[in-house]
Amino acid sequence: MAAFVIRRLLWLPILLFFVSLITFALGVYGPGDPIKVLLGIRANPETIERLRHEYGFDQPFHIQYLRYVANALQGNFGYSLVKYRDQPVGGLIAHALPVTIQLNLVAIFLGLGIGVPLGLLAGLKRDTWIDLLIRGLVIAGISLPIIFLNPVLTFIFSRRHDIVLTAANLRFSIGPLLPMVQGYWDGIFSAKVILPAFIESLGIIAVMTRQMRAGMIEVLSEDYIRTARAKGLRERVVIVRHAMRNALIPIATILGLMMGGLVAGSFLVENWFGVPGVGALAFDALFSRDYYITMALVLLIAVAYVLSNLLVDLTYGLLDPRIRKA
Amino acid sequence: MGTLLQVKDLRTEFHTQDGVVHAVNGVTFHVDEGETLGLVGESGCGKSVSVLSVMRLIPQPPGKIPAGEVMFQGRDLLKVDDEEIRSVRGNKIAMVFQDPMTSLNPVLTINTQISESLELHLGMTKEQARKRAIELLKMVGIPEAEGRIDDYPHQFSGGMRQRVMIAMALSCSPQLLIADEPTTALDVTIQAQIIDIVKRLKRELGMAIIWITHDLGIIAGLADRINVMYAGFVIESASNKEIFANPLHPYTLGLLGSIPRLDAALKSKLTPIEGLPPDLIEMPKGCPFYDRCRHRTEKCANENPPLDLGAVRHWVACWNWQDVQKARSKQ
Amino acid sequence: MATLAASLPTQTRARSPQMWLLRRILTNPPAALGALVILLMLFAAIFAPLIAPYPYDQQNLDYIEKGPSAAHWFGTDGLGRDMFSRIVWGARSAVFVIVMVTAVSLALGVPLGAIAGYFGGWADTIIMRAADILFAFPGMLFVFFIAATIKPGIINWAREIGLSDLARTGYLDYAVVIIALGVIGWAGLARMIRAQVMTIKEREFVIGARATGVPAWRVILRHILPNAITPIIVAMSMGLGDIALSEGYLSFLGIGLQPPAPSWGNIIAENAGRYWRRFPEMIWLVFIPGLVLAAIVFAFNFFGDGLNEALNPEIVD
Repeated sequence: MAAFVIRRLLWLPILLFFVSLITFALGVYGPGDPIKVLLGIRANPETIERLRHEYGFDQPFHIQYLRYVANALQGNFGYSLVKYRDQPVGGLIAHALPVTIQLNLVAIFLGLGIGVPLGLLAGLKRDTWIDLLIRGLVIAGISLPIIFLNPVLTFIFSRRHDIVLTAANLRFSIGPLLPMVQGYWDGIFSAKVILPAFIESLGIIAVMTRQMRAGMIEVLSEDYIRTARAKGLRERVVIVRHAMRNALIPIATILGLMMGGLVAGSFLVENWFGVPGVGALAFDALFSRDYYITMALVLLIAVAYVLSNLLVDLTYGLLDPRIRKA
Repeated sequence: MGTLLQVKDLRTEFHTQDGVVHAVNGVTFHVDEGETLGLVGESGCGKSVSVLSVMRLIPQPPGKIPAGEVMFQGRDLLKVDDEEIRSVRGNKIAMVFQDPMTSLNPVLTINTQISESLELHLGMTKEQARKRAIELLKMVGIPEAEGRIDDYPHQFSGGMRQRVMIAMALSCSPQLLIADEPTTALDVTIQAQIIDIVKRLKRELGMAIIWITHDLGIIAGLADRINVMYAGFVIESASNKEIFANPLHPYTLGLLGSIPRLDAALKSKLTPIEGLPPDLIEMPKGCPFYDRCRHRTEKCANENPPLDLGAVRHWVACWNWQDVQKARSKQ
Repeated sequence: MATLAASLPTQTRARSPQMWLLRRILTNPPAALGALVILLMLFAAIFAPLIAPYPYDQQNLDYIEKGPSAAHWFGTDGLGRDMFSRIVWGARSAVFVIVMVTAVSLALGVPLGAIAGYFGGWADTIIMRAADILFAFPGMLFVFFIAATIKPGIINWAREIGLSDLARTGYLDYAVVIIALGVIGWAGLARMIRAQVMTIKEREFVIGARATGVPAWRVILRHILPNAITPIIVAMSMGLGDIALSEGYLSFLGIGLQPPAPSWGNIIAENAGRYWRRFPEMIWLVFIPGLVLAAIVFAFNFFGDGLNEALNPEIVD
C-alpha cells in the first residue's frame, strides 16, 4: 500500500511537468501574441517591442518556461496580462475558486439528493414504467445541451427576478457570440444559485441515478439479500439495512472522484449566469489570450484530478469493511 | 408423529426472454415433526426452487407459483399475507444456504445479522439479543465467541461462516430447518464438521430438517426419508434404507451407480448417466427421463408416470419399475 | 439470485448474431426511436442540398425575424436566412464532424491501444502515461483551449503555404474542431482497446496463433481486434452524441464553425445573443436548433443504452 502511494505521488510531478509543458507551449505558440491583444492592432511597433522585452516574451521558449516553473515553485503564477491587468494570478484564482467550489457543492448535493432516490426507485421497480420513465428522464437530462438550457431556463424564469437577473442588469457582449452577464453573484444562499446549480447537477444526477439503479439491481440479486428475506425481515428493512448500504459504496467512490472536479468550473454556465468563478475566469483568460491564468487553472485542475484519484483509492475501504481491514 | 409440512402439487415457473422455464412441475411431499427429509437430485432439478417456493422466496417476477398448496401448522403458506409469511420465515422455518461466502451481508457485523431475527421474532432488546447471539455462536462451536461477535463476515473462514449461518437459522428455535446444500461449497473435512454440528443440534433441539444435496453419500448418514428429484418432479420417495437397498427408478439407480464405493470390487466401474436433463422450457409430453432411460417403452414417450407406483411405502414415478427391479437383481 | 440463475438451464439459440442484435434493438422502443432519429439526421446530412428549400447562407433582408410559416417552416433569423435550411445543413456539419472525429480517434486510439496491450513493457508505459496526461487536463476546457490555440496557427499556416482563399472560407474551422476533439478522443479509446487486447491475448486461440509463428500485427488484426469490437462499439455509440455536443459548444463559443457556416451551436449562439431581450416572441430561434441538438444527443444516448442492454443482458431477465 505504501509503495503504491509513493509511486502515485512520484508520478504527480512528472505528470505536472508534461501538463505544464504542453499548456505553456500551446500558450506561447498558439493563440497569438498577448501583447498585441493588449495594445490592439494599431499599436506602435516600438511599444510592442518594449513590452515584449519587459514581459520576457522575446526570450527563447525554454528560458521562458524555466522561469515560469521557477516562479511557480515559489508560489508566483505570474500576472494577468490583459483583462485584470497586472493582478497576480494567484490572487485572481483565490477569489474565484471559493465561488466555484460552493456552486459545485450545491450541484453535487442536488445531484445526490435527486439522483440517489431516483436510482433507488428505478432499481426497485426495475422494468416497470416507473423505471423506464426515470431512465428516460435521466438520459433526457444529460442530452439537453447547456447552451440550450441556459437561455430557455432563463426565459422561463425571466419574470422571477429573485432567480434570474432583471433585464436591466444584463450586460451583453456579442463579441465571441456569447451573451454574458457579469458580477451579480450573491453567494450560494441566494436564489440565484438555483438555475446554475441545477444545470450543473444534471450530469451528476444522471451518474448517480445510473449507478444507484445498477447497484440496487446487483445487490438485490445477492445471496445475502435472500438470507435477509429468509429471516422474515420486512422488505423495508431488507432494502434499507441490507441492500442500500452495499449499493451506496460505489456512489461514495464516484463522490470522491467528483472532489477533483470541484475546482473546475463550467464556463458556459458560470458565464451565462454571472457567477464569478473559475469557469468565468478561465473563459476570460482563454479568449483574451491571458495565458498565465489559463496555465495556472489547467495546472490546478490537473493536480486536483490526480489527488482525487489517489484519495479515492486510499479511502475506498472506509465504507467497505472487506477492504478496510485488508 | 404429526405432519409438520405438507406440500401438494407445487408448481414454480420462471418467465424469461427465451420462454417459460418450468422449474418445479407439481411436487408433493411432506415432512413429519422431528424427521430429516433428504431432497436429492442434480443441479437444476428444482430441489432448491421447491423449498424456496415453500418460503415464498422466489423473486417474482420472473418467478411465479401458478399452483400448489403448502400447509404448515394449519394454514397454506402460499395464500397467507406478507405479514404472516414473514412471521414464519426465520422463526418457524429457517434456512441455511449453499454458499456461506456470499450469503452473509459483507457490511454488517455478525452480531447485527444474528440479533435482527431475535429482535424481530422474539422481541428481545439489543442487549438480550447480543447475549443470545454469543450463546448461539458457542453452540455452533465458534471459539472465543465474545471476541468475534462484532467481526465482519470476511474475517471468518468458509466453514466458520457456515456455522454462523446455522447459528442465525437456529436463533429462534425453528420447527423446520431447510438446509440448501450447506456443505457443497466447503472442503471435505469442514463438510463433516458441519454435518456433525447439525446432527448434534437436531438431537438437542428436535427440529425437523429438509436437507438438499446432490451428494448421496452425505444424505445416507443423515436422512430418515429421501425424495429423489428430476426435472422438476419427485420421481422416487422412500425411507433412507429402502432407497439405497432397493432403488426402483432408473435415474436413482444411475445416481447410485455414479458414486464411488469403498466396498465395491475394484473391477466395477463408475457408470455415469448418459445424456442431459430435458429442456425445462419445452418439457416433453411423456416421462422426463425418457431420453436417457435404458428401460423406456412406447408408453413412456407419451405418458408421464405419476408418483404412486411402486412397492409398500416406496413410491416411484416409473411405468417399468418392475423391469428395473428385475434387471438390477440380475446384475 | 446468483445461485438460482446458475441452476436454471440457459438456452443458447442458434441465430445470426447480427439479426439477433437488430431484433433486440428494434424491440426496445427508446433504442429504436434513437436509431430512427439518427437515420433522419444521416438522411438530412446526405441530401441537405435537396431537402433545404434555400441555400443556408441566402439572406432575404425583406423578410427577417419572421416566425414559422409555410414558406419558412422554422421561421427566419435576423438576416432573413431560412432557419429550416440552416438546420438541415447543420446536420451535414454535425455528421461530418462526428465521422471525422471518430475516424481520427480510431486511427490514433486503435493502433496505440493495441500496441500497448499486446506488447506491454515500455511501449505500454509510454502510451498509457500519455493518455494519463491527457486525462489530467480538465475535459472540455482542454478542448476549448486547444481549439482556441491551434486556430490562429492553422490559419497562419494556410496563408503561408498560399491557401489564403481556403483560410477565408471557414473550411479550416472544421479542421480545428476535428483536431481538437480527435486529440482528446483517442485516449479513452486506447485505454479500452488495451484492456480488451490484454484479456483476449491470453485466450487459447491467440496463444495458439502466436505459437505457430503468426506475426504480431497479423495476430492483432486477425485474431484479437475482431473479438474486442463489441464493447468498443457500445462505448463509441454513446460517445458520438458527445462529439455532436462538443461541436455545438465550440461553435457556440465562436471557436468552432463560424457563421455563415451552418452549425446548430452557432445558430443558437447568434440568436441567443441577438434576441435575448425579445425572447418571448423570438424563442423559436433558440428553441428549435436547441431541441434538434438535444434530440441528436438524446438519440445517440438511447441507442447506445439499448445496444448496451442488448449486448449485456442479465441471465434471469
